Amino acid sequence: MSIAGFEVEVDRGRGLETEEMTLNMGPQHPSTHGVLRFVVKADGEIMRRAIPDVGYLHRSIEKISEKVGYHGFMPYTDRVDYVAAMFCNQGWGMVTEKLADIEVPKRGEYCRVIAAELNRISSHLLSVGTMILDIGAITPFFHAFREREKINDLLEELCGARLTYNYMRIGGVAWDLPPGYEEKVLAFLSQFDRMLEEYDDLVTSNKLFRARCSGVAAISPADAAAYNLVGPNLRACGVRYDVRRDEPYSVYPELEFDVPVGTGSAGAVGDSFDRYLVRILEIKESIKILRQCFQQIPDGPVVAKVPRKLKPPAGDVQIRVESARGDMSWYAVSDGSEFPYRCKVRTGSFAAMGMIEELSKGLMLADLVTVIASLDIVAPEVDR
Amino acid sequence: MVGGFNAYFSNIFEVASTVFEGMAVTFSHFVRKPTTIQYPDRMAIRVQDTLPYRYRGILEVDLEICTGCLACERACPIDCIVIDAKKDKSTKKMMLNRFDIDIAKCMYCGLCSEPCPTGSIHHTPEFEGADFSLESMMRRFVKQPVAAYKPKKVEDDPEVAPILERGMRYLDEFADPAGKTGTDS
Amino acid sequence: MLQQFLDSLIADGTLGGMPRDVAYLIGMLGAGALVVFGFVLNISGVTTFVERRVWARIQSRIGPNRVGPQGILQWLADGIKLLMKEEAIPFAADSALFKLAPFVVTVGFITAFVAVPFSSALVIADLNLGILYITSMTSLVVVGIMIAGWASNNKWSLIGGIRAAAQIVSYEIPAALSIFTVILITGTLSMQGIIQQQGWGPWDWFIFHSPFTFVGFFITFVSLLAEGNRTPFDLPEAESELVAGFVTEYSGARYLFFFLVEWGNLYVISAILVTLFLGGWQVPMIPGLAESPFWLNLTQAVTFIVKSYAGVITMMWIRATLPRVRVDQLMSTCWKYLLPIAFVNFMGTALWVLIWPEGFRFAELALTLLGFSMVVYFFYRVVFHLRRSGAELTFSPLS
Repeated sequence: MSIAGFEVEVDRGRGLETEEMTLNMGPQHPSTHGVLRFVVKADGEIMRRAIPDVGYLHRSIEKISEKVGYHGFMPYTDRVDYVAAMFCNQGWGMVTEKLADIEVPKRGEYCRVIAAELNRISSHLLSVGTMILDIGAITPFFHAFREREKINDLLEELCGARLTYNYMRIGGVAWDLPPGYEEKVLAFLSQFDRMLEEYDDLVTSNKLFRARCSGVAAISPADAAAYNLVGPNLRACGVRYDVRRDEPYSVYPELEFDVPVGTGSAGAVGDSFDRYLVRILEIKESIKILRQCFQQIPDGPVVAKVPRKLKPPAGDVQIRVESARGDMSWYAVSDGSEFPYRCKVRTGSFAAMGMIEELSKGLMLADLVTVIASLDIVAPEVDR
Repeated sequence: MVGGFNAYFSNIFEVASTVFEGMAVTFSHFVRKPTTIQYPDRMAIRVQDTLPYRYRGILEVDLEICTGCLACERACPIDCIVIDAKKDKSTKKMMLNRFDIDIAKCMYCGLCSEPCPTGSIHHTPEFEGADFSLESMMRRFVKQPVAAYKPKKVEDDPEVAPILERGMRYLDEFADPAGKTGTDS
Repeated sequence: MLQQFLDSLIADGTLGGMPRDVAYLIGMLGAGALVVFGFVLNISGVTTFVERRVWARIQSRIGPNRVGPQGILQWLADGIKLLMKEEAIPFAADSALFKLAPFVVTVGFITAFVAVPFSSALVIADLNLGILYITSMTSLVVVGIMIAGWASNNKWSLIGGIRAAAQIVSYEIPAALSIFTVILITGTLSMQGIIQQQGWGPWDWFIFHSPFTFVGFFITFVSLLAEGNRTPFDLPEAESELVAGFVTEYSGARYLFFFLVEWGNLYVISAILVTLFLGGWQVPMIPGLAESPFWLNLTQAVTFIVKSYAGVITMMWIRATLPRVRVDQLMSTCWKYLLPIAFVNFMGTALWVLIWPEGFRFAELALTLLGFSMVVYFFYRVVFHLRRSGAELTFSPLS
């Protein structure tokens, strides 16, 4: 164990074992994001195991797709992961386009990327904000949310809603960028850059925060692969894998961005602090991408011609989207009718959730909320 | 532990200096302007008026220009729109007997306003829907059976013309996703 | 003072033939009630309101501003709401202890006020072991918290109670040791005695007396924060981990008592710090002030309350800034950092007093300069953050 750089070997509780206590954490615990339940087996403050109990937010979204058709399912995808709904929109759009062989106009693709990257920033802001809230500081959470509100305002102007965007359509996006949108976004970004620096001064460099996160639930790349971690959680372990770079889709090949990975700057590689830091760095990459998008966006239509009654040829396809919570894979089967035969979403939180039981062994009770927050688990995405 | 002594004091120094810096950041917020909007009563203008044009609030139907084509009913993924349109045998006119929107069910996705040919069904910036009964959530637009609107080349009815103009503008700026390229329907 | 007043009343027959002891008892109870209802309860309530407003500004919000002018009566509304609420006692709870716990906590907190000196004359009792009395009385709070945690029969409450016990007992040691550094200098435990040996200027305060007391001030501050269960040491009720810690099962008026104590304790903590290190009620001796006891006491009381309230606001500001520490870090902070340094301080101060029994003027001035330059650098950083953010400024505390 390392406490604030002071290396001491402590036998955690050896010889001091007490009766095992079963704690029921959730489903209405303040720091389980969404409706989540853990059964914690604890020896005093030290956890033996935390067993996640999922399913409280199951809304059978995949089944709904079989009843509402390809166009009608788009607003439902907003609810798969309501913190980063753009990616689910994009995923459903892409899987259907591949199924029906529809080409999205270039400007439509750029609109999608702009909306998605704005959404990625807002999702990561929520993640780092709630993480510091769970660790006990209240102010940084409000500062993160203040900036998130500004992004919500921007997205509201773009697509008319703040959370369930329903912005994308099969074959492109619903609306072109409103007039003067570029100036507004760029003005926000230059202000947001400075806010991120301030956030670093307030949180990232804070020794107490680092001490709370360093070495907590460090994941090795092998473990991460075994448990199928994706997205920022995987990159924090030092694995440079990003769907945007490795299996490029949309216009990402035309954009230049780095894929930040965890370096263990506060302790071990792949610990909670790395997961936090990777998200902060990804926000900075998203800002870079947004600036490039506005420089490169061409004129033209934003949506392709798609029949109202879409009947893709029979077959099945699978696509991947780099969502804010990592590799989100969409699989759809068509039987040639106007309703999908089957749809399946694989989300990043679900894999992360499966790892908590393994990670929680031997951690302190207070670390459990750090781990949940640092893995950025969004309960509706787990259950769907 | 040779480095232990240094590490000990550098730890103390690090905690003190980062706490100092953090406190400076928070102190600077004492003189920053709060960003709170004091909804609903202490606002210079109603919040509905500050919302962007594309805001998807509670649905509204202008019956004067509703053609009774049922495109919105078909597009709605949750079937919260119920329309009863029948051809009156005696007058040979399409009559609208019922046009209900259950805003308790509505998820404000905007899919209904896109196929509307006249912009009759549209989103308003209103979002305050709280009420005491479920029945009041059912917006019944048809009080008495009315004849559906029949598109003409030039709208000459002075009462309908401004409504149609609003509807078409709505279509241009909001609903038609394809812009001028058009979507097959 | 009270005794003289009662004696005079008995002497001129206003109280009739009331026995002396009964008169004393009634007089003391009356004075106590006056203090409790006139000051202690109000200071807790107002502190909750101030805290919410201070937090709100730090977090770019406005805070409560609807009840009364600028929301100043919000705390009354909250208090009344809690009093009107139904009190639920869990079926499996130890009912008697469950009901007792809030009162133990409250007693521990209110009795501490007995020895808090507001001015040279305004003190309920100038006990000759005042500071010891206050530290022991505030320790009663932990007993109450333990009882609450146990009696609730809830595992979250129990963990909260145990954490509180471990934390407060540990932090008493560095707190007491650093308090003793001041006592080494003064040679008295009386709160008034300690203040009388300081002056009105910062260079006469004990915080700048020697490098050891300078460090001692911060150790006392951190330890008292931990004893008062304040962030970054608010583990017993860590809301993101333990739901609400030891108050999880409480509701209504009993819940109110816990919060009364939590916020009132802020004032007690700062009063201790102000008394020990920051010159207490000392005011500059303007000619003419000493002649009028009323004005003298008033200025002293205002000075004391302003100083203590500045401390209270500092604690709110710290709470708004820092994350919570973990249990093991809490313990290592205490036993590995605060305690050894407190011991060094104690020995150092003893040596210092041996060498310079009357104080070393140069060190005092140099330390004052150091403190002053720290404040200047702090404001330089504040201005730096303000300029970088480019935010809109407003200097009005009102919304």
